[in-house]
Amino acid sequence: MKYPHKKQSNYSKRSLRVISGIFALLFAIVALAFTNHKDSIPTGDYQFTYPANFGNRINIPADNPTTQQGVYLGRLLFYETRLSANNKLSCGSCHQQAKAFTDGLALSKGVDDSLSTRNSMSLANLLWARKFFWDGRATSLENQATFPLTNPHEMGQTIQASVNKLSQSNMYPGLFKVVYGDSSITGLRIVKAIAQFERTLISANSRYDQYLKNSYTPTPDELKGMELFNRGPDPEKNIRGANCAHCHGGPKTYMELFHNNGLDSLPADQGIAAITGLAGDKGRFKVPTLRNIALTAPYMHDGRFKTLDEVIDHYSEHIKQSASLSSFLQHESNEPGGTSLKLLPKEKKQLLAFLNMLTDSAFINNPRFSDPKLVSSLHQNKTPTQ
Amino acid sequence: MKKLYFILALSLSCFMISPSANAQTTDKTAVVKVTGEVANPLSITEADLQQYKQTIVIRKDRDGKDHTYSGVILSDILTKAGATMGNDLKGENLTKYLLVEASDGYQVVFALPELDKAYTDRAIILADTIDGKPLAPADGPFRVIVQDEKRPARCIKQVTTLKIVFAK
Ligand code: HEC
Ligand code: HEC
Repeated sequence: MKYPHKKQSNYSKRSLRVISGIFALLFAIVALAFTNHKDSIPTGDYQFTYPANFGNRINIPADNPTTQQGVYLGRLLFYETRLSANNKLSCGSCHQQAKAFTDGLALSKGVDDSLSTRNSMSLANLLWARKFFWDGRATSLENQATFPLTNPHEMGQTIQASVNKLSQSNMYPGLFKVVYGDSSITGLRIVKAIAQFERTLISANSRYDQYLKNSYTPTPDELKGMELFNRGPDPEKNIRGANCAHCHGGPKTYMELFHNNGLDSLPADQGIAAITGLAGDKGRFKVPTLRNIALTAPYMHDGRFKTLDEVIDHYSEHIKQSASLSSFLQHESNEPGGTSLKLLPKEKKQLLAFLNMLTDSAFINNPRFSDPKLVSSLHQNKTPTQ
Repeated sequence: MKKLYFILALSLSCFMISPSANAQTTDKTAVVKVTGEVANPLSITEADLQQYKQTIVIRKDRDGKDHTYSGVILSDILTKAGATMGNDLKGENLTKYLLVEASDGYQVVFALPELDKAYTDRAIILADTIDGKPLAPADGPFRVIVQDEKRPARCIKQVTTLKIVFAK
């Protein structure tokens, strides 16, 4: 119990009795909720559903098959603030569903109030991803999760401390038993369950997906924008294009590539060059998914652009030359000899209309992805069981 | 002069601000790793590549113009690594493929017979020069060049890995 101890004399005996009555009631409700929890936990293999055009090149480690009970636990852990040093931050703090699992900030605040070095990333369709983070340094979701958990500038708590906190709770040992066969809580089991939940975050119902399924007719602007997005410019043949699909293309609008997209000539953050030590990797970052892109501002690894208009202006007018600039952005222009796309105002509007087609409101409103404690959070914070 | 100071200050501050940048950044040399179902995994530098027999391939790039590339036939490299080429390329070994990966994460596949002289005369090389000069940084230092293939999409740039894999 961690609330400020007030002197008892401040209260009359009567109100004390009322208060303890309320507490007892809350305790009973929560206890009931937890037992019900356990009884109602769905079990068995988890069936992923996604469109056929996403392809089946999914990434699930052999030692962490996805189960319904694992996803159930993972969701609780994803939103579990006790996994942070000050009991205030969870994965969900920097990855909020309403913002397609980003946080709306250029840089995020950790438990020590210092800022992260990079922009929080959208979590969608990670089932198909094989490298994680802006520099791809993590090779599995299981491995990825340990970084924010233990990073002193993020959740800032040792795995052992997290294990201890969860082991002392009423709820978790039983849940771990349902998922893993015995109630022992380990770091590996924590990250495995979180990863299982993350794999279920599938976004496949944007207007673009519906268009690909022939169930949505795009507006003329959306259609033009799609054309520009998918086509490279060729001024000699009078073909106008924006060539975005070369890096952001496909039904998932994600291809797992790493490029320097011309943000700086002298990048402050070296990107993957800091890992490989190769000059050609300077300022090279993961090409992020464009799914729900209208919801995930600000943009780029450092959150430098506040709006999609600024992003489009970047590609249209401000590509910075350097030795590691992607070859897909060199001499790509709608003007002969140009070094940036040079789109017309009308074309920028069309491109934006297409990017707005990628918003999937079913995804950000899917109750299976939301914070399971949200409805009962009032009780949670005040009950002695916690 | 002022400009120079500015650039100096800027690059210095880059080193100080940046979370991960440090002095060791960007002084390593690129290599191509040969891995997977091979007897002797290799790590090939540009200098190593000069030890092999050089072959020239002329083909068009995206600019629509013919260019002269020089480099080493892929099967020579794979044979050196002990992959099942030549007389060994039969039976279940015909279910193997070469997965080529680039530093941007791009990947393309070749079935082994596409690379083997006993099956085809088409040359597929790991090139390191174009028109007598080293490849441009955004294309090199190593690029696969596929003779006569209509689309350049398998002429994968900035190659980092050649991996032999069994189809499952
Ligand atoms: C303090 C804010 C913060 C918290 C808390 C946080 N993250 Fe993140 N997350 C980030 C930032 C910032 C990045 C990008 C970091 C980088 O690339 O270096 C990121 C990246 C990721 C990625 C990579 C996505 C991709 O496409 O490569 C995943 C997955 C992820 N976080 C999951 C989690 C999980 C799981 C948790 C909880 C265990 C968590 N995050 C907690 C801020 C946070
Ligand atoms: C050469 C590959 C490449 C091309 C072509 C390309 N991009 Fe990007 N894009 C990237 C990379 C890499 C990033 C992340 C860069 C960073 O943060 O340092 C990015 C980031 C973005 C972002 C921000 C995403 C986020 O979550 O912050 C948007 C939006 C975007 N691109 C839109 C476009 C559009 C629109 C086009 C076409 C006009 C385009 N891109 C063309 C590689 C590319």
